[in-house]
Amino acid sequence: MAFVGQKLVKQIQTTGLKATVAQRLDDAFTRFTAGLSWNDVRGVLRGDPPAKPNPRVKPHTEGFWFHIRPTFYHEAVTTLYPTFRLGLLSAVFFTFEIITGIFLMIFYTPSPTYAYGNMLDILTNVPFGKFMRDLHRLGAEGMVIIVTLHMARTFITGSYKKPRQFTWFTGVVLLVVTLFLSFSGYLLPWDQLAFWAVTIGTSMADAVPLVGPEINLLLRGAPDIGAGGLLRFYLFHVVLFPLIGVIFVAVHYYKVVRFGISLPPEMEAIGEDTARKVPPEKRVNFMPDIITNELMYAGVAFAILAISCATWYSAPLEHHADPLVTPNHTVAPWYFYWLQGLLKIPHMIPLLPGGIAGEVDRFFANVFGLTPKVFWGVIVGPLLFLLLFVVPYIDPNPSRRYGDRKVMLSFGAIFAAAIIYLSLAGIPTGVPITGFGYVGGDPASEVGQAFIPDEGVGPVRRLPYSQYVVGNFPINAQPNTGSAGLDRLIREIHDDMEARKARPDPLGKTLSADATGSLEVKQIQSNLRQVIITVNYTDVDGKASQFKKYTFLHADSGYVAE
Amino acid sequence: MSIFKKIVTYRPSFTVRILTGLISMLIMLSVCTFIGLADRTRLNVRAAEFDARAVEAGAKVYFDQCARCHGVKGEGIEGQGPALASEQFVGRIELVRDDMQLQSIKVVVPSERLNQIGWTGSLRDYIIAVTESGIPIKTSNAWDVNHPTFGERFGGPLRGDQIRDVASFIVNYGLDPLPNDQAILPPAPGEGQAARPTPVPLTPAQEAGKALYEAKGCTACHAIRGVGAQGALGPNLTRIGAVAEERIASDHYKANLQGQPPATTAAEYIRQSIIHPNAYIVPECPQGACLANLMPQNYEQQMTPEELNNLVDYLSSLK
Repeated sequence: MAFVGQKLVKQIQTTGLKATVAQRLDDAFTRFTAGLSWNDVRGVLRGDPPAKPNPRVKPHTEGFWFHIRPTFYHEAVTTLYPTFRLGLLSAVFFTFEIITGIFLMIFYTPSPTYAYGNMLDILTNVPFGKFMRDLHRLGAEGMVIIVTLHMARTFITGSYKKPRQFTWFTGVVLLVVTLFLSFSGYLLPWDQLAFWAVTIGTSMADAVPLVGPEINLLLRGAPDIGAGGLLRFYLFHVVLFPLIGVIFVAVHYYKVVRFGISLPPEMEAIGEDTARKVPPEKRVNFMPDIITNELMYAGVAFAILAISCATWYSAPLEHHADPLVTPNHTVAPWYFYWLQGLLKIPHMIPLLPGGIAGEVDRFFANVFGLTPKVFWGVIVGPLLFLLLFVVPYIDPNPSRRYGDRKVMLSFGAIFAAAIIYLSLAGIPTGVPITGFGYVGGDPASEVGQAFIPDEGVGPVRRLPYSQYVVGNFPINAQPNTGSAGLDRLIREIHDDMEARKARPDPLGKTLSADATGSLEVKQIQSNLRQVIITVNYTDVDGKASQFKKYTFLHADSGYVAE
Repeated sequence: MSIFKKIVTYRPSFTVRILTGLISMLIMLSVCTFIGLADRTRLNVRAAEFDARAVEAGAKVYFDQCARCHGVKGEGIEGQGPALASEQFVGRIELVRDDMQLQSIKVVVPSERLNQIGWTGSLRDYIIAVTESGIPIKTSNAWDVNHPTFGERFGGPLRGDQIRDVASFIVNYGLDPLPNDQAILPPAPGEGQAARPTPVPLTPAQEAGKALYEAKGCTACHAIRGVGAQGALGPNLTRIGAVAEERIASDHYKANLQGQPPATTAAEYIRQSIIHPNAYIVPECPQGACLANLMPQNYEQQMTPEELNNLVDYLSSLK
């Protein structure tokens, strides 16, 4: 008489219960790993040499997750150089962003009414909420850096050359996806930082000839960013760009496996590609060597992110988005500073020798009828990216040797230097020394902005509430307010004002020599004070003027820690 | 082999890989444990910080929007709006924190006003409701106008978060409320139809001044109860005749007057303020500290001496 489990009973009778359970568990484990028993996996993690026949190729041939991974690498690509593991790290960060992103998604509603409140809830009422948000944000910025470095490495080692042109092309697509992913996530907290950065970003689209307003309308869902725009950016961020990313990662990685990781240039004859012809003695097995190496890199990356977020890093959250109030010195995210720098070029003509950019603008305005904003932002900016896409198709040099590629490598260096220079020009302080890209208002208002910035903390808010003394104090070098902290703050303001009197800013403006200031502290409520900075100065027309800026400071607002 | 070459050709040994991986995992686990252990307390501290920042943001909204009728100290303005800082309105509160640093508001003395009007919800909810949707029916002649609708969805200028912030600010007055005798209190329900003083009739010259006040654009920044538009940038002039007398007697005026001889009568003070607006800047305006240069300095050229006399005459009569 046969019944279900007869075999099991028989096995228990012959080998005993313990051995049967162990054998059955190992069976299940082997099915799970697509071919590796518990002992095989232990062997991998202990670095044992493989048995013969090698059971470790089975997951590659039979399982899904490893089917795209090669069973061995060339020894020469397993050292730090030439890959620096940047491609792997890009994929690791992408996965990491998906995991932390799903966590944050649970607590988020893409609506202007709720989004900012959700952020406050994540920070104040969700266990691990702030940690996850910091990780997600820092991971996103890290991913932009790593993907960019990955591209730079590929350029420097000439790995974009035949037969890997299309791999490079998909890689640039992934760089664009990374930037757009980061940028679309920027809007979601619905704070001032987000709102104005994205307003600047999408207003670029507005400048596209002919279809600009339509593109802008598609992006924003309305003439201005509002509920429609937020929902669209949310969908870009969590559906469209991740989907494009996953598809292109698959294509990109398929190409990497198909052609192999390119060897260091000096190891191959010119024009030859031997990445896939690995002699047996040069093979490094995927298991155990590559997989442990990758796990190590992923582990170290996660640990660095976790330590950073537990210690020094805190994702910024500014005031609630306000379409009616543009904060001073609004900037795009840092990875788009170069674009902002490009847009500033026409305003910076007086600072350039001979007004080169001005001539360029006039030429394009006269010949093609383009405004500077269209020319620099919509034509030159995307052209730089187009250049990246076509690099492998326009580079005729078959050699990957550094010595043979002086032109291309110099071109790359100039490109990188230009991007860095433009990025510096993109921030409000401009490029050091030359002052290119400096934007600043009246020097007196810059004193206010330096000490009470519209957004962010600044020295006034960073000084603890308890260090303030109620009263009206003149700004001078020897303040005597009875509070060491307030004295220090007043001295700082004094030094700042003196510096602005002595040195003209890059636009040639100085604070008038007769300028005086005062700092007033008023008690508004028992735990709320108002701090007012006043600067009396003579303006450019010789008229006596006054600039005032104030902020409110609550005893418990905790800016000190930020 | 150069150090550079050593770095780029570095291949961690198997032991190094496994150890580094393990240590990284341990670090991550300890960071998570470390965060998890004190997370509740940290969350509560951060919640209190954001509550405090809401009060700061609410103060800004209050001085921009509310102070013009409710007063810069929340003391209320006769005919314009009742006190919000009075003990009668906010009661008395304390901020308490439990062992886990969770902050809550403890009501020591409940709001007498809410009891009076029969509002069963919290003070905060009452403030939010009134700010957002206004008061739809007129129940008292103590105020010139009903409370307007400030909420965005009723056509007002404020978003929901700004209204919640300003409610946090007003509730915060309860820590140290103004004594009721220093505040303009609203009439109790049913007692709202108080007798109002009959206005003193204006002389023809004063009538001409009043017409000038409206014609020359003064109402864009200033407000006089019941006259034309109600500007909110400059000081309220409803009682300027009386205020001017107080001003010329005050030490602040004597100490801060610049470039002009001190006025000895209310009319002189008003004339001086019109012709030389920067001579003396009062410390408090509806939107916080008053600024120099806000008021045009060419009114002497815009009006004939007779017109100016009429205007000063009219303003001096406001007491």
